[in-house]
Amino acid sequence: MRAIRAIAVNTLREALRDRVLYLFLGFAVLLLVSSKLFGMLTVGDEGKVIKDLGLFGVQFFSMLIAVLMSVLLISREVDSRTVYNILAKPVSRWQFLIGKYAGLLATVLVNLALMVALLVLVVLLYEGQLDARLLIAGAMTLMEMTVVAAFATLFAVLTRPMLGSVLTLAVFVIGHLTRDLWLLTGHLQGEGVRWLIGAAYYLLPNLERFNFKTEVVHSLPVPAAAVGWAVVYGLAYTGVILLLACVRFGHKDLA
Amino acid sequence: MRRALAVAAALITLLAVAVTAEVRLSSIQRADPLGKRLLYLPTAEMLGLGSLGNRGLAADLVYLWSIQYYSQFEPREQFLYLEKVFDLITDLDPLYFDAYRVGAMIMTIDTSASAAERREAVRRLYDKGLRNMPSSWELAEVAAWDALQQLRDPELAIHYAKIGAAIPGAPPRLRRVYGRWEEKAGQWTPEDSLAYWQAVLAEAVRKPDVILAKSHLYDAVARVDGRRLDPLLSAYRDRFGHCPDSWRQLVELGWLQRAPTDYVGNPYRIDREHCRLEPHKRIRWD
Repeated sequence: MRAIRAIAVNTLREALRDRVLYLFLGFAVLLLVSSKLFGMLTVGDEGKVIKDLGLFGVQFFSMLIAVLMSVLLISREVDSRTVYNILAKPVSRWQFLIGKYAGLLATVLVNLALMVALLVLVVLLYEGQLDARLLIAGAMTLMEMTVVAAFATLFAVLTRPMLGSVLTLAVFVIGHLTRDLWLLTGHLQGEGVRWLIGAAYYLLPNLERFNFKTEVVHSLPVPAAAVGWAVVYGLAYTGVILLLACVRFGHKDLA
Repeated sequence: MRRALAVAAALITLLAVAVTAEVRLSSIQRADPLGKRLLYLPTAEMLGLGSLGNRGLAADLVYLWSIQYYSQFEPREQFLYLEKVFDLITDLDPLYFDAYRVGAMIMTIDTSASAAERREAVRRLYDKGLRNMPSSWELAEVAAWDALQQLRDPELAIHYAKIGAAIPGAPPRLRRVYGRWEEKAGQWTPEDSLAYWQAVLAEAVRKPDVILAKSHLYDAVARVDGRRLDPLLSAYRDRFGHCPDSWRQLVELGWLQRAPTDYVGNPYRIDREHCRLEPHKRIRWD
């Protein structure tokens, strides 16, 4: 556990040194400028527009961190040969990988926490009241990123860095479209094809399960069961992907 | 140094060319550019898919664009696809209150449509809104006022006010408005009025609401009593050739047990000219 923590902390430090937090700056500029701009352009509830835009920004910039960091996650350690030093110590390969994953997730978490805090503050300034429900949407975006980061880790192990980033981005896009894949089965003829698409639906991540933006923006009730099961789903799915990554990394030729 | 100056000069020259080209381009009139641009507006399904879980933001962006677009309503073409655009926005975000409100407002000034078309378009949008937000008395209230003030359609206004007044949590203001409009339209029987204003009174908290409800109840009770007492006054006149001076004369004949009183307990007067019950005048707060 200490080994995993040490690697995770080191990964986070590296990310901060790489100025990943500049993305937060990007988010801040996007939110502040657009809220002012939209405030001038819109008719009616500015708060809704700010929340929609802010939650999109939180999701987009968090995804960007996962995608961009997947490029460097393993390849940098291999290129600079530090991975050999680490693995020469009493650190197993799976501990190294999980440590890298935890570091990536911690980086996402730091950025996400800052972004959500800024969003809550901006909404407070516009609406004059604290909207704590934004924290629910933020927490569920973190769950979504838990899955995306797991894929980033898997692809960092499986492929070349650039391709890994593209694949992580593809998973993010597909993850938001899988529900439509499921709806497609209703229109299909043939049991075999329907079964195949059904299987693909369950194998691919359904990132829409972590989407509670509508409920939060429109102050609708957020079903506790939906949140609870989404967390269970996210953790289980992440476990599967990380397990695959560990198995592959265990046999990977690092030379 | 000379090279740096050359680069700077080239940059400034190119920038000036770009700005000039942009200015020239914006001054060139294009044939129906706005309408054609609208033809390529994607469907709600496609936009929803492309938004990757941010349908609300997609709705915001189309909404913001539509406000800028339709607010320049000089040419007739500017109102092209108005209903489709707001249908798209409200398909993307069915709970977008402002989109219904502002969309309907723009529809009421759509110069390319007839009054009947405008009415139907507004009605379709508000009906969709109330289907998607059945607990929003606010939307029903806005719809009612738009129908009355913009479309000049009291019947439609009463329709929406009735929906709004029936939604749990609707403020007494809305119930008061509905009751008043309904009474003004003459659609209610005295019993309808009695039942409605009794319900309003039971929930009224603010003094003006209480006074208004009592005021309407007073009239409703007077109308009910008039229906019962006016025939007695007529019968008296038929029998004695003149209207009675007071209710006591009817009591003495055994036609009434006691002199009738109004909603607040004061005796009714008799309008001797028309020989019918005359209630006291009441002051309303509406």
